[in-house]
Amino acid sequence: MKKIGAYLILLVIVISCTSDDRYESYNKDPKRPTIVEADLLFNSATKTLVERMTTPNINVNIFRLMAQQWATTTYPNESNYFLTGRTIPQNFWSGMYQNVLLDLTSAQEIVSKDDNLRSDKKTTQVAQAEILMIYAWQILVDTFGDIPYSEGLKATEFPLPKYDDAASIYVDLITRLDVAIANLNGAGFETDNLYFGDIGLWRKFATSLKLRLGIRLIDANSSLAQNVVESAYNLGVFDSNADNAQFKFLGISNPNPIWRDVVQSGRQDFVAANTMVDLMNDLNDPRLAVFFEDNLGAETYVGGIYGAINTYVNFSHLGTLILEPTYPACLIDYAEVSFNLAQAAQLGFAVGGSAEDYYNQGITASFEYWGVTNISDYLANPDVAWATAQGDWREKIGKQFWLAMYNRGFEGWTVWRQMDSPTLNPPELTERPVPTRYTYPVNEQNLNVQNWSAASAAIGGDSQTTKLFWDTQ
Amino acid sequence: MRQLIRIGKWTLLMFSTIVCHAQMKTVTGNVFDENGPLAGVNILVKNTLRGSLSDINGAYSISASTGETLVFSYIGFQTSEHEIGDSTTINVTLQSEVTALEEAVVTALGILREKKSLGYATQEVKGEAITIVKTQNFINSLSGRVAGLDIRTSGTLGGSVNVVIRGNNSIAGDNQALFVINGVPINNDTGNTGQQRRGGGGFDYGNAASDINPEDIETINVLKGAAATALYGSRASNGVIMITTKKGSKQAGIGISFSSSVTLGNVDKSTLPVYQKKYGAGYGPYYDGPGNYFGLFDINGDGQDDLTTVFTEDASYGAAFDPNLLIYQWNSLYPGLDTYLEPTPWIGAKNDPNYVWNTSATVINSLAFEGANEQGSFRVGLTNFLQDGNLPNSELKRNTIDFSATHKLANNLNASGNITFTKTDGKGRYGTGYDGNNEMISYRQYWQVNIDLKEQESAYFRTRENATWNPSAPDNTVPIYANNSYWTFYENYSTDTRNRVFGNFTLDYQINDWLKVLGRFTLDTYDELREERTAVGSVQIPGYTRRNRNISEYNYDLILNFNKTFTEKWSVLGTLGFNLRRNEWNTLTARTEDGLLLPKLYSLDNSIGPVSTNEYEAVKMVDGLYAQASLGYKFLAYIEGTYRRDRSSTLPKNNNTYDYWSVTGSLIFSQLLKSDWLSFGKLRVNYGVVGNDTDPYRIIDTYNIITPPFNGGLASNPGIKNNLNLRPEEQRNWEIGLEVLLFDRRFGLDLSYYDNRNIDQITQVPVSNSTGFQSAILNAGTIENKGWEIQLSATPIKLKDFNWDLQLNWAKNKSQVVELLNGIENLEISFFQEGGTLNATPGQPYGTIRGTNYVFNENGQPIVDEFGFYLVSDTSNEIIGDINPDWIAGLFNSFSYKNINLSFLLDMRKGGDLYSLDTYYGYSTGIYDFSAGDNELGNPIRDPVTNGPDSGGVLLQGVKEDGSINDIRADASTSENPFGWYGPSAQHIYDAGFIKLREVSLTYNFSEKLLDKLPFTQMSFSIIGRNLWIIDKNLPYSDPEAGISAGNIQGYQVGAYPAIKEMGVSLQMKF
Repeated sequence: MKKIGAYLILLVIVISCTSDDRYESYNKDPKRPTIVEADLLFNSATKTLVERMTTPNINVNIFRLMAQQWATTTYPNESNYFLTGRTIPQNFWSGMYQNVLLDLTSAQEIVSKDDNLRSDKKTTQVAQAEILMIYAWQILVDTFGDIPYSEGLKATEFPLPKYDDAASIYVDLITRLDVAIANLNGAGFETDNLYFGDIGLWRKFATSLKLRLGIRLIDANSSLAQNVVESAYNLGVFDSNADNAQFKFLGISNPNPIWRDVVQSGRQDFVAANTMVDLMNDLNDPRLAVFFEDNLGAETYVGGIYGAINTYVNFSHLGTLILEPTYPACLIDYAEVSFNLAQAAQLGFAVGGSAEDYYNQGITASFEYWGVTNISDYLANPDVAWATAQGDWREKIGKQFWLAMYNRGFEGWTVWRQMDSPTLNPPELTERPVPTRYTYPVNEQNLNVQNWSAASAAIGGDSQTTKLFWDTQ
Repeated sequence: MRQLIRIGKWTLLMFSTIVCHAQMKTVTGNVFDENGPLAGVNILVKNTLRGSLSDINGAYSISASTGETLVFSYIGFQTSEHEIGDSTTINVTLQSEVTALEEAVVTALGILREKKSLGYATQEVKGEAITIVKTQNFINSLSGRVAGLDIRTSGTLGGSVNVVIRGNNSIAGDNQALFVINGVPINNDTGNTGQQRRGGGGFDYGNAASDINPEDIETINVLKGAAATALYGSRASNGVIMITTKKGSKQAGIGISFSSSVTLGNVDKSTLPVYQKKYGAGYGPYYDGPGNYFGLFDINGDGQDDLTTVFTEDASYGAAFDPNLLIYQWNSLYPGLDTYLEPTPWIGAKNDPNYVWNTSATVINSLAFEGANEQGSFRVGLTNFLQDGNLPNSELKRNTIDFSATHKLANNLNASGNITFTKTDGKGRYGTGYDGNNEMISYRQYWQVNIDLKEQESAYFRTRENATWNPSAPDNTVPIYANNSYWTFYENYSTDTRNRVFGNFTLDYQINDWLKVLGRFTLDTYDELREERTAVGSVQIPGYTRRNRNISEYNYDLILNFNKTFTEKWSVLGTLGFNLRRNEWNTLTARTEDGLLLPKLYSLDNSIGPVSTNEYEAVKMVDGLYAQASLGYKFLAYIEGTYRRDRSSTLPKNNNTYDYWSVTGSLIFSQLLKSDWLSFGKLRVNYGVVGNDTDPYRIIDTYNIITPPFNGGLASNPGIKNNLNLRPEEQRNWEIGLEVLLFDRRFGLDLSYYDNRNIDQITQVPVSNSTGFQSAILNAGTIENKGWEIQLSATPIKLKDFNWDLQLNWAKNKSQVVELLNGIENLEISFFQEGGTLNATPGQPYGTIRGTNYVFNENGQPIVDEFGFYLVSDTSNEIIGDINPDWIAGLFNSFSYKNINLSFLLDMRKGGDLYSLDTYYGYSTGIYDFSAGDNELGNPIRDPVTNGPDSGGVLLQGVKEDGSINDIRADASTSENPFGWYGPSAQHIYDAGFIKLREVSLTYNFSEKLLDKLPFTQMSFSIIGRNLWIIDKNLPYSDPEAGISAGNIQGYQVGAYPAIKEMGVSLQMKF
């Protein structure tokens, strides 16, 4: 018996001496990597950014409703701009910070630490990630106003990030973009689903983004705007639809998110909005045939009453082109660049052409993009033609820019915010005003309350009708 | 064989006695207690000197004449008297006199202790309390029976049960009590997905502890505070539910017991919606046809548009019913139906959704064999459990084999073991949360009251198609938002099967009369397969998901026990031990993507897109050394201390060891007072500290690989930021208690006050998403729970034939989040749909509900706007509710008259709030009765608002913006009414309190006279009932207890299931 006791004591000692290292090894997850190649993060961030901007999922992105391109059928909450119920701002915000900005930051860190990488390749890859980050930062600022920026994405250091002033963020983004453009001089990421390794096109993408940043500032800071726009123009922006920052989806396992939400779901949540269809009917706009379906009879297009409960079968459905699972999405296109240049020209910035030239170029780019012919008839329409179209330059450009931004809800909404054109409808059921921003995420009120309240006060109240710093007219 | 010889000997003896006393007869029989034969019982013929003793088998024999009375007495048991009749056999079962306070109870690590010596609160529940009124999950039976034990059920078939002792101690970690059977810690995971627990949809597969078979339970002892559980180590910081199973007991031959029960369950109507019967489909006058309430479509193909229901609209703000109006409804669209292409009268449904509820049946049969002799004992228990759910195509089956044995291997060396095998099969578990598989979403939130559910049922069985009432269009019957319910039940069902083995093997060696060494191995391991199907033709994307879960725990214990009385005054009792624990998890989830190639084939190969998988594999090791010593003085005072040091693999290497301790003291002051009325009195006090670790993989950051790849691999940061500097967390707890027994033990009181602080908690803290993360693992925050617990027991009436016993359990827990990490002012525990959140905020109780609130004036009255609707606060972080009840209580009454016993249990919860998404949406869609009622002018509220006496609309209680009493009628004619989502979140906060008649049983114990004629030694018959009556509640149309899943996310109803009233009979027999 004594022997047994001795053995038992020995056993205890043996087990207790199992090394701490072995214990530590149990904490290493065999199913998840602690390090990945930067390409994987870059690829994922690109895809997420494109998807977040493209999806019509009402939990994330209701920009097509903000722009009144589409109207809803049975459920009118989102078309009446109730944002908090489905925590839409929160979902959009967290997707951008977590799955775009943080992943790009990680990709940059991994590239920077990779000693086996040639230095020109390193700077180029860092710059590519930087360009996408700047794109995402601008979207966040243009959605919310002041946002956590300098203290964002630093969880350990700043678990409660303060918000930065939106105008200052713009200034910083422009500076960062200049550095990135200068650094695009080697080979980029292997997995590049935007330009497939064409760094020249990346440069054009970056300059077109710079143009967008500059144009946004024209009412708030016209001298900076001019400076930025002219510098972007001189660096060379998009000059055809072939330059578009376009992302091609692969098919039903990797589909365009519109297909997932509209086709695969089998739901009938959306029809054409009367806001858009009425204007296009007035202009006899041939793009109607691509934007929407002729389910009501040949050349008959009726939009659902915006913000009402609409019967699906009574209104024009979404056009089938954008419902293809492989339909590409776009981050910046030639039409947008053209309309931005039209504004610049109108304001007398040196951008090498007149407002009318760029206005026509924008409309033409849009027709080409959508594969619609008869451009000359349309441009000759007195309601379209620069010389005869109704209203001041803001109204003219605004209308056509807005039409050209169909299916790019965020840009459509932003055109309206910046140019106050076209006239959007108050939603039928509640007549709540069209928002000029997303309110801050509900969880910022619960998790980061002090910084949230400071930011709310700084921007003039966390309301969905507070105007952004560049939205001064 | 030996038994037979012994019986033979006694028979011979019997005959010899008869010869000696010819004028008297010999009365024989057996004496039992509740565990079996009782030896040494004194049997005396009343008023004579004739006496006898029962032998080791409980058998006795005595000479007496008819009319005389036998008196059976034994120390610790109630004396029993029996008059001798014609029969010569009298079997007697003696009732234990020992009260709860003097019994030996099982404490941490399975150590048996005299309850009176303990310095902390424990509360015992006897096995019969849960075996007479049987339930699927024995944990349900504990509700109301233990002070401070908060049981919350989800209300679904076999659904999970939330078990929390003395409040939530952890902000974001596990707060569930630990279950231990015969020293074996039992895994009690639900394995439910995060989405399911948040109310986002999915099936609730129940807790794993439901595998414990109530039939095998001898006693349950609940250890509440840190001092009680400190020896168990970190994992027991939420309290322990110690279960001891039945063992073989000594008796003549092999004892056989059999029990059987049949229970029928019907839905409690007070927990179901009451539907209006006046208006049909639609959200308002937004369509075509008369009043703009209908659709126009040429259904019958005559070239003319016909009037149709608005098929896609899942609400009931449509046209008033009119039996003369013929409408093409959903039943005109399916060629397989008699009504194909036929219009039908526009009337309310004969069978509303409440038609769906069937009667459930639960049948439990249990058989046990047991025996024992000097060398050892054994018991085998077999139980078969079958339950047909209240919803179609749902059932649960469980088979359990429990085997326990002890054997004396040599002098002083004993082996014992216990092994249980269970196989649980579930089918058609109820869908939960905001999901297409939860038909309650349709029934409570989105419905057309013109839909006859019985007709939907027969349409499904006629066509075997998804003949939904909610087709996308008249010429496209693919459902748009809702399936035919019966399609959901019969096609989109889940199945699951779990095979589980748990048990322990122990060797103990008595080294000398005061020292014993014990080695023990315990295991708990299960394999589970969960399969979920979505058929081709459903609203949802068709698919198949399978989840394999393999979860195990092994424990190795070496324990040295000593127990020595030094002098008459001093005694020492102690333990030194070592424990090594290993947990293993291995799960694989695989699902088809983008649909199924072939219908009705549920296989991963049938996936259209690449199959997606999710694997989890983890090992956790914890080793601990511990010591305990208790010093007693003259059965008057006890002092006890424990110490334990743990090392856990889940913590960083340099912080992986932590130690903790407890001290308890008790004074049995009744020894000093020696008063007549005070039978027993004890004061106890303790202080305990328990350290705690965490789950695996909380230290090192990793990436998620995203599938399928996209022209190259995809990876992303996970939502959770891990922490290289994690420290163990600590719980500090003090408690003071008083136990008294008064007036010959007829009145008992056990009072506790505790204060429990959990500091430096390892918490998954939700962080501002602008950090790039959803949450971070941090040592953050302190929660305090303090409260009172009262157990009162009394025997107010004790007569010869009549007894009334009662027990009251009452507990009040006050939780407070004391602090969070520097600067963090709030933690979001979860978010509910439509802006509500569940929170932990410093200075507030754990679990406040936030959302938008009413806008109040300075007098606290809600303000209405110019349309008579409530104004809604701009901010969504207003505290609008608190999920914590003010107090919970259970009152148990038992009345015995001769052989008949009537008992009932009342279960009460006072206060505590919940947020209902069911009313948020459901009150908007006009399906409930009140939405079609009249206003105070006597006009239908759906009539237009006018300024005259004919006005419809409703007058909300509140004031106008100018401060005067509201006189603006709000329009209630459409879904944009003031009842539902137009109002603030606060409008959908309800008091979740209730008083329920939880259990009733009427038992008849067959008298000895009857038993003499039967081959049984014991037999009883009971009529039982569970949840028969909700005596009081404040939540309309629903069961305030209904939840989503076990876990920290409580206080949210979304597609809530109704309460089920169960009635049945139960028979128990012993041979």
